[in-house]
Amino acid sequence: MAGFFFLFVKRSFSNPSRFLLFPKIPISCSSTSSLVSSSQTLARSPIGSGFNNVVGGGIGGFPRVSVPRRFSSHLAAVRDLKTADGLTVDAIAAKDWPILGESESDWRSHAAAIAQSIQLIKKRMQWRKLIVRLDQMSAVLNKPDLWDDPVSAGRISREHGELLSKMKEVNGYEQELLEHIDLIKLAREENDEELEWESMKALVNMRRTAKEKELEALLSGDNDSCSCFIEVQAGAGGTESMDWAAMVMNMYKSWAQHRGFVVTIVEEMPGEIAGIKRATIKVDGDYAFGYAKAEVGVHRLVRISPFDSGKRRHTSFAAVAVIPILGDGSTRYQIKESDLRIERFRASGAGGQHVNTTESAVRIVHIPTGICATCQNERSQHSNKASAMAVLQSRLDQLEMARQAQLNAEHTQSLTDISWGNQIRTYVLHPYRMVKDLRTNYEVSDPDSVLGGDLDGFILNFLSYLLDKDEASV
Amino acid sequence: MTLRFPFPVRSPLRPDLASSLHRRLSIPSRSSSSPTPLLSSDHRPPLFLRPPAFAASRTDLHDFRRWAESLALAAGPRLSASDGGPDAALLRRELAWLVEDATVAAASESGVGEELRLRVELEELYRLWRARIEERRPFQYIVGCEHWRDLVLVVKEGVLIPRPETEMVVDLVAEVEGFEKGLWADLGTGSGAIAVGIGRMLQEGGRVFATDLSPVALEVARLNVERYELKDKIELRRGSWFEPLRDVEGKLMGLLSNPPYIPSSHIPGLQAEVGQHEPKLALDGGEDGMDHLLHLCEGSASALKSGGFFAFETNGDEQSEFIVDLMSMKLGNFFHNIKMISDFAGIQRFVTGFRR
Ligand SMILES: C[S@@+](CC[C@H](N)C(=O)[O-])C[C@H]1O[C@@H](n2cnc3c(N)ncnc32)[C@H](O)[C@@H]1O
Repeated sequence: MAGFFFLFVKRSFSNPSRFLLFPKIPISCSSTSSLVSSSQTLARSPIGSGFNNVVGGGIGGFPRVSVPRRFSSHLAAVRDLKTADGLTVDAIAAKDWPILGESESDWRSHAAAIAQSIQLIKKRMQWRKLIVRLDQMSAVLNKPDLWDDPVSAGRISREHGELLSKMKEVNGYEQELLEHIDLIKLAREENDEELEWESMKALVNMRRTAKEKELEALLSGDNDSCSCFIEVQAGAGGTESMDWAAMVMNMYKSWAQHRGFVVTIVEEMPGEIAGIKRATIKVDGDYAFGYAKAEVGVHRLVRISPFDSGKRRHTSFAAVAVIPILGDGSTRYQIKESDLRIERFRASGAGGQHVNTTESAVRIVHIPTGICATCQNERSQHSNKASAMAVLQSRLDQLEMARQAQLNAEHTQSLTDISWGNQIRTYVLHPYRMVKDLRTNYEVSDPDSVLGGDLDGFILNFLSYLLDKDEASV
Repeated sequence: MTLRFPFPVRSPLRPDLASSLHRRLSIPSRSSSSPTPLLSSDHRPPLFLRPPAFAASRTDLHDFRRWAESLALAAGPRLSASDGGPDAALLRRELAWLVEDATVAAASESGVGEELRLRVELEELYRLWRARIEERRPFQYIVGCEHWRDLVLVVKEGVLIPRPETEMVVDLVAEVEGFEKGLWADLGTGSGAIAVGIGRMLQEGGRVFATDLSPVALEVARLNVERYELKDKIELRRGSWFEPLRDVEGKLMGLLSNPPYIPSSHIPGLQAEVGQHEPKLALDGGEDGMDHLLHLCEGSASALKSGGFFAFETNGDEQSEFIVDLMSMKLGNFFHNIKMISDFAGIQRFVTGFRR
């Protein structure tokens, strides 16, 4: 506790002094240069009190000097920002000002567009849940016995810090909007055309970056930034489905490679005649999980079978699971060495000097849970073991997350959890050609491009559908 | 779809090491530093280290793959049924690795152009694969390397291809308290696998004496020691078992060996890759396979210092039991804490223990 407290007090004292000198300069705002240059004007201006909310509700033009000692009051600073005349972002959006093109110099239009984006971003981030979570974490951090368990204290305080900075970034953006509105109004009052023009320009810029931020907000889930494993399993129907499973796996390999992720095959159980029974690939790179989680579920194919001499129409299924590879900082399942059974996969005979083989597959069984992992595609047994271990760790992490019912649990079902009824997408190659997502109704009429890895449309659509549908969660 | 291999992940060498290696290997007069002339006709570096001096079109490579796959599919069932050789699935994986070692990954990725850069001529690839299938030449000799633990070891005809089971010897050593600073011996080092695996974990003062009777083995071991920049940690010595170690008698913290342990009568029935291509000197353990193991057991008492550790690989259950008995009964005054350890196939593969 002591460490925290110290840090907090120190920071809190350094800021108010700045505020006393320049009460109008917002502290957490990522000021554009125009803002900084105009601060002088502002300091001279009579409307000071409008910015008070920035530092957590000062009274009468003075920021609160008393030190916010508790974490929860820190949080208060992240809410309810207003312009000088009391406009909030929500209020701006509610005004339904017409949104014109970017080239129109109408600040209301820009403000309305940005306000809408901010609302969408917050919705996607599940803002309300975040606030509740931040409150919960603050409560925990305020407990006097917090540091009795230094590991969990460290984790919570880190998560708290990350969440806070994520939220502050949005607030900073919000605040930037409100300040420019204030500046424009002020500039008009004072006939300062240059100032008005600069703020107008800044609003246009904000409108542009807002679109990017909307996209980024689609990937703000807990483990979204992680690398991941993608697993594909053939459904019933023999060779037909195994061939389809291989096609699905290839689709993900191409998709991942085009996105610049590094793809490694971890495990592959080939079908007897064609395709795969099951396979696992590792997809390495930023936000691999955030995107790939949109693909979890059953994928259905309708086509004239290349394996059927009667040229009949066939329907095949393949199930897809996606498992995040948690970073070292996260809560990971602690594996005890003694709980593991490591077996040579498909070993027979005397082994050792008797045998020359390039087969060094290893299976690791976690005895208490019965969960196991296999790797056979590395060139040494040591590496196969390391890869299998990584898969096992992630499977156990996934189990642990499901157990703790964390936010993302619904995206991290394992293959065994995915019911064959959970169809998410249908690919029709005959008699017409179309790929349609059954969740979003997003469709594409060129299956070849989709099977060639062009999945971003489906993924982004699903992510926004997932996060935008639920009005109540905002 | 062509598969892209994540090359950086697979390369076990630090970039600086890799480039210095490249430099060393691209100097044609490299042989001046190798003391023994090669017995094998193939004295070129392993495939993956050769410069990409050749080119082929994607279609050419595709045709090669198709041809090679059909060969594999046709031969696989026969090979695995006859003497436990590779089946079709295994051969196809080897084929993928052969292509991986023979091509330049970066070029195949960025390649808009049709040309691929190769480390051997296309015709040579055909010859190599034919030898793999028709002559049963081990895959590791064909590509000139074996991936073992996180190492890529150079191997060639005349030296035993290190086995996956043996990887565990390194883990056993890592569990010995204070191993990092001790003197170790790897008797019958072959390609140097065990010695290099351990040499990389040693600290100031730690050293491995790696011995072998075979000059080819020592020459290959030297290459591997140099490749991993362990010249100051690993000393190679030629001679029979304890002979070259007289000067360190009684000073060794550990003795490690994977000596030849196959009973002579089994040699004619071995899988072709082993029996027809790997050196007999590395395999034949005498009538019951234990000639060398027994010699090693008996010499250990005087070679090891007090508290010293030994780990021997054996042919499995029966041999291991025999050695456990020997070390704890007849030689029980010298050794204690004798254990059998199984490999991942559940065979009691190793015997370990400590000098009193
Ligand atoms: C089974 S191989 C082991 C090679 C290597 N240690 C490995 O695990 O891959 C046995 C080695 O013992 C060597 N060897 C055979 N007889 C020997 C002897 N009398 N003295 C020393 N080494 C011998 C062989 O040359 C061969 O390299």
